[in-house]
Amino acid sequence: MNKTMRKSFLAVVSIAAVATIASCGEQETTTSKYLNVSINTGVESLDTQVATDGTSFEVMANYIEGLYRVDGDGNAVLGMAKSVDKSTDGKTYTFTIRDDAYWYTSDGKQYAPVTAQDFVFGWQRGDSPELQSEYQFMFTDVALVKNAADVYAGTKALSELGITATDDKTLKVEIDSPVSFFEKLMYFPTFYPVNQKFFESVGGTDGYGTSPEKSLSNGPFMLESYAPSAVSFSLKKNSGYYDASKVAIDEVNYKVYQEDSTAYLAYKNGDLDIAPISGELVDSNKSSSEFHSVEAGYLWYISLNLQDTAHPEIANEDFRKAINLAIDRQAICDTLLKDGSVAAEYAVPEQLATGPDGKDYRETASTYDYTEGGTKTAKDYMDAAKKTLGKSTFSLALECDNEASSVAEMIQAQIQSTFPEITITLNPKVKKQRVADMQNGDFEICLTRWGPDYADPMTYLGMWKTGNSNNYGLWSNAKYDQLIDDCTDGAYATDTTARWAHLKEAEDIVMDEAVIIPVYQKGDSYLISDSTTGIEFHSVALNRVFRNVTKK
Amino acid sequence: MTKYILKRIGMAILTLIVILFLLFILLKLMPGSPFNDEKLSVDARAALYAKYGLDQPIYVQFFKYLINVIQGDFGVSYNISKNTAITVLIGNRLWTSIRIGFQAVTFGAIVGFLLGTVAAIKHNTIWDSLCTLISVIGVSIPSYVFAMFLIYYVAFKGGVFPLSYSESDPFGSSILPTLSLSMFTIASIARFTRSEMLEILDSDYMLLAESKGMYGAKLIFRHAIRNTLIPVITVLAPLIVGLMTGSLVVEKLFSIPGIGSLLVTAIQSNDYNVVIALSFIYSLMYIVIMLVVDILYGVIDPRIRVAKEA
Repeated sequence: MNKTMRKSFLAVVSIAAVATIASCGEQETTTSKYLNVSINTGVESLDTQVATDGTSFEVMANYIEGLYRVDGDGNAVLGMAKSVDKSTDGKTYTFTIRDDAYWYTSDGKQYAPVTAQDFVFGWQRGDSPELQSEYQFMFTDVALVKNAADVYAGTKALSELGITATDDKTLKVEIDSPVSFFEKLMYFPTFYPVNQKFFESVGGTDGYGTSPEKSLSNGPFMLESYAPSAVSFSLKKNSGYYDASKVAIDEVNYKVYQEDSTAYLAYKNGDLDIAPISGELVDSNKSSSEFHSVEAGYLWYISLNLQDTAHPEIANEDFRKAINLAIDRQAICDTLLKDGSVAAEYAVPEQLATGPDGKDYRETASTYDYTEGGTKTAKDYMDAAKKTLGKSTFSLALECDNEASSVAEMIQAQIQSTFPEITITLNPKVKKQRVADMQNGDFEICLTRWGPDYADPMTYLGMWKTGNSNNYGLWSNAKYDQLIDDCTDGAYATDTTARWAHLKEAEDIVMDEAVIIPVYQKGDSYLISDSTTGIEFHSVALNRVFRNVTKK
Repeated sequence: MTKYILKRIGMAILTLIVILFLLFILLKLMPGSPFNDEKLSVDARAALYAKYGLDQPIYVQFFKYLINVIQGDFGVSYNISKNTAITVLIGNRLWTSIRIGFQAVTFGAIVGFLLGTVAAIKHNTIWDSLCTLISVIGVSIPSYVFAMFLIYYVAFKGGVFPLSYSESDPFGSSILPTLSLSMFTIASIARFTRSEMLEILDSDYMLLAESKGMYGAKLIFRHAIRNTLIPVITVLAPLIVGLMTGSLVVEKLFSIPGIGSLLVTAIQSNDYNVVIALSFIYSLMYIVIMLVVDILYGVIDPRIRVAKEA
């Protein structure tokens, strides 16, 4: 009996001992530079015309480059294109592709030069009715590529899409109307090139990008190890990249850490060079040199269903402004979120887009002060609303995602303490349910967020045009619609300065009528090891760019 | 015996088809859509539905799915890994979950059984109290807490094992997850073994064996353990399936590429094919394990074998 116990104990101990010794066997050569990063969710797809999520975009941008790429300040700089010629009416772009741009297979061998045809093929498949890409709207609604809508509908052939290769290195793009931020769209992965011959040789959509052997690289890195839904994968430096001499990292190792707490421990252990943090960790690390806070593009706001006949108060502008003033955004950011999020009293986030004046949009845009310099209070608005409506008590249901319920709770508490006559009921739900309900108009007020697709205020302002599928509150203003149209493809489309000014005018209308109640702009806080410098953060398209990272 | 097995297999196939159909219906009733991007317009979503045949009536979809399954095609993932074949997606992860689950079950069952046996034999001594304590703790503490404890004190502070799972060190980095998963098994099996063993130690045939001169390990091994095994295996069977199918919490904490977290993510994002395929695998595992357990009964207990053959 005792012998059995002793034997089992020894067995367990020896297994543990062997395992410990086995796990000590890994070493890294000191000459190679590794960058270890974490991501919160897995990659959904490494197919440039299929992927829709930020993680996939970030990974793809490491090893594929488009006509333009993005620099540390958020400017679009020439990438695969060595020069561009824009017509005077702004509707035709002629790009010349670099001579030293080549595609490389994952074993480091040169496959083919990057040609204009690669872009044609990529864009055509992105807009094709066959692929049904979820980002197809970028071609029709955002980049305004000629014939994009007809090609997608199937009434015109793929070859009629407004992109042609006049020769191997010359690419002509035709758009219906000038797009002032066109260059910035070009670093969006949906517009990346695809080598048709390779694509078809690895099985087309089913195979492309599903493993290193089935992917090509023309960017600073190339895939080294990857499988669909892998929890860890890596990229290695592409020594054939035209700017390889400026790439100082030899290997980028990605790992999925779904829990921030384990990512933090991994960071402290030296397994990660960058880890996301929030809450108490932010408080305790704020003064450290490793602490970095960046503003993400997400704007969290309360969308109001103006067509809700059961709750006529929602349609009352004074009522909405009263609610707006009852919310203490600073408290939400400082006591609850603590992750670098900032209070937002605007419809277009900060650090989203730079204007023709070289300044961030928000720097020169209006500030919206419903208190009118302190002369009006929330109560004043509420009294006016009560008078018009003939009602003195109100009851509203606030919808939100499960993940956002703590913010919603704070908002509920703030509104109810300022206005005891309002009862707010919280309705947290699974995100897909919340989105479905909003799309069906089945909500009263809802805490929602919007992330930018491209670095221009239009990605937000366009939402509130009459008939836009994301205009859940069903607000409609003819003057606003006219401004949006003029700025998109009408009177102001070519004049960048006039357009910028009129975008601000449009925002004024949205804010003056309190169409939405902005709450906060998401911030992300990170710990970055002191030996790592050069990680570039962006609030649009590519979350992080590792091209220019150096490690001591 | 063969007839019995064949009959069971036939029933299993029927059960699986019914399960598949029920799953289909449940998933279609679930709110939401596999194409969750807020940016998708209603028209674009409808076009995507048409592309994947999701706009057809349920029985048409089910029939097509059944035909494809027979040919080995389980469809593709809609959003976890867009357009990836389910067989590829799950294949990568299934073996990891099964391996770690198997490790946890084996370790948990052996340690639990030993612990329970010791407690029963040393009834009312310090060993008994220790076993009870471990059992209560093991059953009460959520695996999340236990896992975090191990990660922080053993891996992070102690540096004994890696912080998270890594393919380059499949065994070493799976030790902590195995321990976290096995805690519940150890506790349940220990308690169960202890109570079964106590009953058996009191029975008349044990008294007879003792009076005939048997004592110590020989007595326990020849007579007590075999009798304890039957009820223990009954309890173990569902535990095995539960562990092999992966634990969401442990997988998330250790960054293990397993099927537990895959299933939960798939349900939350309406990735129909993934949910159906994984549920199908779970059901299959459960049916197979129950069949194996039934056969084992016959092997362990001659009385059952004779009764079946009669």
